[in-house]
Amino acid sequence: MKIKDKILIVEDEPAICSLLCAVLDAEGYETLVARSGALAETMIASHCPALILLDLGLPDMDGMGILRAVREWSKVPVVVVSARSHEQDKVEALDAGADDYLTKPFGTEELLARIRAALRHTRTPAGSRALANTGKFRARGLEIDYDAHRVTLCGEEVRLTQLEYRLVSLLGLHAGKVLTYDFLMKELWGPGAKNDNQILRVNMANIRRKLEKNPAQPEYLFTEIGVGYRMTEEDAELPPRKDE
Amino acid sequence: MIRTSKRSRLPVKRLFPVCWRDTGVAAGIFALAVGVCAALRLIDKSDVYVALIFELAVVLVSRFTNGYLYGLLASLGGVVCVNYIFTYPYFEFNFTISGYPLTFLVMLAVSVVVSTLTTQYKQQERVKAEAEKEKMRGNLLRAVSHDIRTPLTSIVGGVNAILDSGGRLSDETQRALLANIRDESQWLVGVVENLLSVTRISDSTAGIRKELEAGEEVLSASVVKFRKRFPSMEVQVSAPDELLMVPMDAILIEQVLINLMENAALHGVTATEIRLRLRRDGDRAVFEVADNGRGISREAMGHLFDGCSTHVGDEPESDQKRNMGIGLSVCMTIVQAHGGMMTARNQPSGGALVAFSLPLEEAPHEDQG
Repeated sequence: MKIKDKILIVEDEPAICSLLCAVLDAEGYETLVARSGALAETMIASHCPALILLDLGLPDMDGMGILRAVREWSKVPVVVVSARSHEQDKVEALDAGADDYLTKPFGTEELLARIRAALRHTRTPAGSRALANTGKFRARGLEIDYDAHRVTLCGEEVRLTQLEYRLVSLLGLHAGKVLTYDFLMKELWGPGAKNDNQILRVNMANIRRKLEKNPAQPEYLFTEIGVGYRMTEEDAELPPRKDE
Repeated sequence: MIRTSKRSRLPVKRLFPVCWRDTGVAAGIFALAVGVCAALRLIDKSDVYVALIFELAVVLVSRFTNGYLYGLLASLGGVVCVNYIFTYPYFEFNFTISGYPLTFLVMLAVSVVVSTLTTQYKQQERVKAEAEKEKMRGNLLRAVSHDIRTPLTSIVGGVNAILDSGGRLSDETQRALLANIRDESQWLVGVVENLLSVTRISDSTAGIRKELEAGEEVLSASVVKFRKRFPSMEVQVSAPDELLMVPMDAILIEQVLINLMENAALHGVTATEIRLRLRRDGDRAVFEVADNGRGISREAMGHLFDGCSTHVGDEPESDQKRNMGIGLSVCMTIVQAHGGMMTARNQPSGGALVAFSLPLEEAPHEDQG
């Protein structure tokens, strides 16, 4: 029998539960369901799922509490699925350690893509298998060489400043995941960084002008308004899939 | 005033508010009155005008300050000045001048009356503004409930048709019904997003929360979201080489851009391509959304942004996609709240072009989020 990735769905709405189960089953995942926060906490500890789909609005407790509790002892990927669409909620969840944040309503294609990305990130310590093997991040013509500290675009070297390189390499390390403004500021300018993220915006704008054919229609570096930045997914080593 | 019991503290605060601005205004007007009197005395030795000038000062103070406090203080000060400085014997109190207590009483009465009128007037203004807001909210709600009811009807109807048929519907019909249900649900998603935007505006009492955002980022983020819903539409985006940092609530502006693109896709009918452009025009950033569709009809052009285009309509609603109304009126509200403006026109080459501009310079108050 094939071993399947176990996904724990923490969600109190029966209709959404059954929808998620159906979609994930069809995709070859094994699904578990927890209808309350208390149940979820015991199930996470006993089943050790490969990924948790977490709804923030639970009847007995706030989903953020579960997220924080899990993060104290585990690195299991958590994808937050929530009806709260204010960017502040997203930032809070991502900063608390969520791997991704989906706002209801979402398409099933998108959900599956995010789950695949989140699972891929946990398989190797560096976040990606290719990166761990070759020390290189590759995505459609863009290549970040982590050993040589070089970024090339379709084989041609891109001249980045030190700061710009660090920004790009950080985003590449977490490709597919939104890194919040706060996280990036702290990583690059230290914990004493000012609240004001203008300098980050300006650096990103410069990077876009160097990497993107059309900075207003980026292929690699995406903005999540009010939340942060995201690098496009890495090329799969297997034959490319149709989506993304 | 100080000895007032706890219970009455609130009305006291309201009737006698103290603030720096009002103190300044009162002091300024009063000083002006003193100055004018002193100057006039150089020209004219009589002192008949003195009381009148201070009367005028009292009226002005009462009118331009809040509550009763400053008006009363001004009349008190006025009486003292009139008596002590500007009437014979100068620089001496003399309470025996005939009619003097009367002057004092009249000044007090004037100050109380004017303060009362001013307070009432301000209250009325507030009530009026509140009513205006309430009316806008009502209009939006009406537009929304209409926008929601129609697709819901077709969703419920479609689902019932499929469930009740017991499998007798042909595959093709079933698929068509399902596709329709999906489209209508997508539609509802858009309506709800707009509703959220509206609450974002009315939540904040002090206008919207603006932060400096890179215009091109908002542009590209809105395109990513739009593409999810309309994958087949061609979108061209262009932004200037210069990085335009625009003070705005980026979530709201993103919503405006998405609304405009969706309008182009849905109402443009024949539109196959949308062009999104950001440019600088002096001290303003201009966002343009253009399509190559059939353009905006003359009738629709008139009340494009007022939120009732499809409801007062001479146009039959059935074959029209609704939304035009709410989407655009929400856009207009958002842009105006930013101190910007929005225009729509048909391009000579065909297709509609909707543009809005936002000021690049924030009015100089706290822009730190």
